[in-house]
Amino acid sequence: MTKSFLKVALVSSVIASSALAHFQMLYTPNMALEKGGKIELRHVFTHPFADEHTMDMGKQHDSDALAPVVDFFAVNKEQKTDLKATLKEITFKGNHNSGKGFASEYKAQKMGDHILVLTPAPYYEKGEDAYIQQITKTIVNVAGTPTDWDADLGLKAEIVPLTKPYAIWEGGSFTGVVKSNGKPVPFAEIEVEYINRDVDIKNNKMGKDRVKAPQDAFVTMGIKANKDGEFTFALPKAGFWGFAALGVGPDKEYKGKELSQDGVIWVEAKPMK
Amino acid sequence: MLKKTVFGMLVVANLLFAHSAIMNCFDNGDGTITCEGGFSDGSSASGVEFRVEQDGKVLLKDKMSKNSEFTFKKPSGTYTAIFNAGEGHQVVIDGKDIVQ
Repeated sequence: MTKSFLKVALVSSVIASSALAHFQMLYTPNMALEKGGKIELRHVFTHPFADEHTMDMGKQHDSDALAPVVDFFAVNKEQKTDLKATLKEITFKGNHNSGKGFASEYKAQKMGDHILVLTPAPYYEKGEDAYIQQITKTIVNVAGTPTDWDADLGLKAEIVPLTKPYAIWEGGSFTGVVKSNGKPVPFAEIEVEYINRDVDIKNNKMGKDRVKAPQDAFVTMGIKANKDGEFTFALPKAGFWGFAALGVGPDKEYKGKELSQDGVIWVEAKPMK
Repeated sequence: MLKKTVFGMLVVANLLFAHSAIMNCFDNGDGTITCEGGFSDGSSASGVEFRVEQDGKVLLKDKMSKNSEFTFKKPSGTYTAIFNAGEGHQVVIDGKDIVQ
């Protein structure tokens, strides 16, 4: 009896823990390029710190077929380029399972900032009987001249940076504003995670973990924006950090089920060496 | 008169201290090269001098366009592209480093 109670408790704690911390990755190994050129991107829906479950992007509750990506584009010098056709399906191998994602290449040739924005189809999370859609932004800079990084794209769910997300030293901080359709979201709930892995782009898989969390609260760190929707977070370690503003988008329902429309941004801290 | 002098100094000061000059060049694959100029504070490089040199000789001397760019015919052999935003603000790129 005690044993089965423990089992139930354990199972529900695992569910509670994996219900948190979904992160849509829009990964490229270097966000601050010395000069223009072709870059590799990986689009993977995972838990980047614990890497306990890699999800199939676009999973639906009423069909085995995965729903296609809604939108993928780049903005450089205020010019928008549609990149949806560049997405190629891949199977990405996490440390515990594999999931369906995408690989793509992008020619970051022009100088300045290239804002990459991915809007995946809502993903059905069985554990919550609800959908999650993370509108995700990664900003790559070529040659160090700033152009578009602080642009408010008016996305349904968006984190607009007040710090260049590609020019932060290890130990520095990142400040952003949570917005929905261009309007700040006061006291927005934000989850923060570190990509605690070396991402093996060639073989589409995750490496071993880099650091151990002393407790669960350090795996996915929950913070809140202030009354103006702004937040600041210090980055203690070099690498990639994801920020997800939860449920800030206007769409609350998908296929008759609850939908959390989140805004995600990726930030890279560089080592001082 | 005084106002004009002060304004002139301000402009000079801005040019001298406005952070670093940056240039990015790429081969368009059609026999032409495009070079983009800029500054680390995001200010425009429109009107800034741009040169192409070969064996110490100036092949081309012009100004960056209103989009802070300049496109030219790729010279045969070795060459350098020079973005000249004043003393201490020159960027030189070797032609062999300019690829597609």
